[in-house]
Amino acid sequence: MNVIETENITYYYEGAKTPSMKGVSISIRKGVKTVILGANGAGKSTLFYHFNGVVKPKEGVVKVMGEPVSYRKKGLTALRSRIAVVLQNPDDQVFGQTVETDIAYGPRNMKLPESEVKERVEEALFQTGLGDLRDKNTLQLSYGQRKRLALAGALAMKPEVLIMDEPTAGLDPQMALELMELAEQLHHMGTTIVISTHDVDLAYAWADEIHVLRRGELIFSGNSEDFYSDPMAVHSTGVMQPSMFVINNNLAAFRGEDPAPYPRTESQLVSKMVSGPKGRMTAIPVGTDTDAAALGRILDGRGDSKVGVFGTVSRRMMYDSSLPADYVFNGFESCMGECLMGRDSILVCDRDSISLIESKIQRLKDFGTEVGFEVRA
Amino acid sequence: MANILETRDLTYAYTSRQEDPSLDSVSVGISEGVRTVILGANGAGKSTLFYHFNGIFKPKSGEVLYRGKPLEYTREALSVLRNEISVVVQNPDEQIFSATVEEDVAFGPMNMGMERDEIERRIQHSLFKVGMEDYRYRPTIQLSYGQRKRVALAGALATDPKVLILDEPTAGLDPQMSQEVIELVEELISAGTTVIISTHDVDLAYSWADEIHVLRRGKLVYSGKPEPFFEDRVQTALAGLVLPHTFSVNHSVQAIRGLPEAPFPRTNSQMLCKMLPDCDAAGKIRLIPVSDSLPECAGEGRVGIYGSNVRRLFRAAGMTPDFHFNAVEHCLMEAVSGRDAVLYCDESVRAAVLERIQSMEQFGKCVEVVM
Repeated sequence: MNVIETENITYYYEGAKTPSMKGVSISIRKGVKTVILGANGAGKSTLFYHFNGVVKPKEGVVKVMGEPVSYRKKGLTALRSRIAVVLQNPDDQVFGQTVETDIAYGPRNMKLPESEVKERVEEALFQTGLGDLRDKNTLQLSYGQRKRLALAGALAMKPEVLIMDEPTAGLDPQMALELMELAEQLHHMGTTIVISTHDVDLAYAWADEIHVLRRGELIFSGNSEDFYSDPMAVHSTGVMQPSMFVINNNLAAFRGEDPAPYPRTESQLVSKMVSGPKGRMTAIPVGTDTDAAALGRILDGRGDSKVGVFGTVSRRMMYDSSLPADYVFNGFESCMGECLMGRDSILVCDRDSISLIESKIQRLKDFGTEVGFEVRA
Repeated sequence: MANILETRDLTYAYTSRQEDPSLDSVSVGISEGVRTVILGANGAGKSTLFYHFNGIFKPKSGEVLYRGKPLEYTREALSVLRNEISVVVQNPDEQIFSATVEEDVAFGPMNMGMERDEIERRIQHSLFKVGMEDYRYRPTIQLSYGQRKRVALAGALATDPKVLILDEPTAGLDPQMSQEVIELVEELISAGTTVIISTHDVDLAYSWADEIHVLRRGKLVYSGKPEPFFEDRVQTALAGLVLPHTFSVNHSVQAIRGLPEAPFPRTNSQMLCKMLPDCDAAGKIRLIPVSDSLPECAGEGRVGIYGSNVRRLFRAAGMTPDFHFNAVEHCLMEAVSGRDAVLYCDESVRAAVLERIQSMEQFGKCVEVVM
């Protein structure tokens, strides 16, 4: 099912010589991790403004959940509670005086009961790690904090579709990883996530489906490999092939093998290159009701195993209770790295993400790696 | 090599945060001609340090030295200093003030009191270098983010600095533009400029830097080659950083093979080289240095271009290479995989290209260059 689709939309800004959108027909499918690629000025942001009704196409139709968008005030308010766009520059989005009032703005606008507003604000503060800053004046926040605040405001809408324009731009590497992990969790819980990014390595690792824009036209929709296998198309769109794709292709050509299956993560690439005895991964599921002291006791018995963390709830608990972790960020990949090197590892993982971890481990089998996995009761 | 820039016990605090200094006793030495990257989380003090390098900020205590001499904070001395040390800030809007592209680029040279002809030459040259010559008479407010970013860079190039400091030069640029900026930086280095970059892109930092300096909450926690820093996982994590992909994949693969990690591959081609069996012969790279015109091509294999001059000549001739961007890497990967390749490069960067090709030897493949 398509959560959003456009039919032949065309748009031009006042006074511009060339249209910013030229006959774009695009389908965003429900539950598919989607990335929009394209050079600066290709039309990515303009497309996003069509998705949440900020911009009305000069020609063509935008449909959300199969229904044409209504551009009346009531229709737009309803639309924006289902489809949230997080802009690249948080200054275009953050208006509230304090962190808390800024996050509450959307839910209040939706006329939700105040108790529900409070609940949503709390959850969004928690997910973005802004809890300690709730009373802070938004003008005093750093760039990274404002960026997280803009995301918190969107999360508080509990949207069905979350659209993020360059979510990692300007963030330091750990923050960027944290954000992508949150995106993965939200996806796993049923939110459809659409991002635009210039980071092709990130896009490649994350996307189920990519759409590529060039000068306002949609020139590709489909899976990443089909696009990157056409060097001329790649070149004409201002994009580069991801490192992982290039290395794998060269390796496969040299060995005279089919490049598929295509590795998209470090552990998949390493699995394809070498193999040896594997370690086991033990996941410890964590929820908000988990007793931190009990978790601490389990971790005391970790021996030589390295400990990684996956998920918002787990990270917070490890941090608040000062529990020992070797890999606070990129926990899954790092723990898997340990297993590939023949060492056991422990992954402290949000309970609702256990099945996500299982599916990641399952996928590694395509690359020749079978790692023992158990979930500790 | 001698330090071109240096700080000694540099401490600085913003007025509103006296008790929490942005820079805390930082002693850092930037060696002349060394590719230098400053790493650190948001708020670690990178930009504050840059503002000390060109004298915009004056340390609360400690000192900043340029070519061994402490900075003087008089108006004349600072104006001379800023002709030698140029900082391009992350957000171009903080740097572009003039109404048109031309005026903005001319601002520095005019301030330096240059002759008209020289100013004209510098405008043309720097706009050409950043690929914005067609935008010379455009109002700056009509430019896109990427274009403004390039105009800000052109403005710095026009002063022909001895030290060029770039704060997040690739942030917000699309991948090809980023690559073009990095290639331009390489040309400047070949011409003798010392370049310092701050970036959040650890993969870029790792593949490019000779030396890294890492800041954490205003303190300098590391100076040196990248590998010893990334080998210390705890230090890396505390600094808000993550491991570069090449570093981490090499670490895992070599551990599984039971082989030492060194030599450390920093680029895809070096990595590929290490992963492939070393018994097979590599392909050859036909290197064609270009000055004023394109020589006839006589070579087998896919074609790459490297350098702003070659790029322009190819465009003018309506020729399409196989590798427009990152061509040295691509040609090396061809060669390492046993195929011949042709690489056109600007004469001015020939030595640097040869050095990169020769670097493959330590990873187990000797790539022959045919001139």
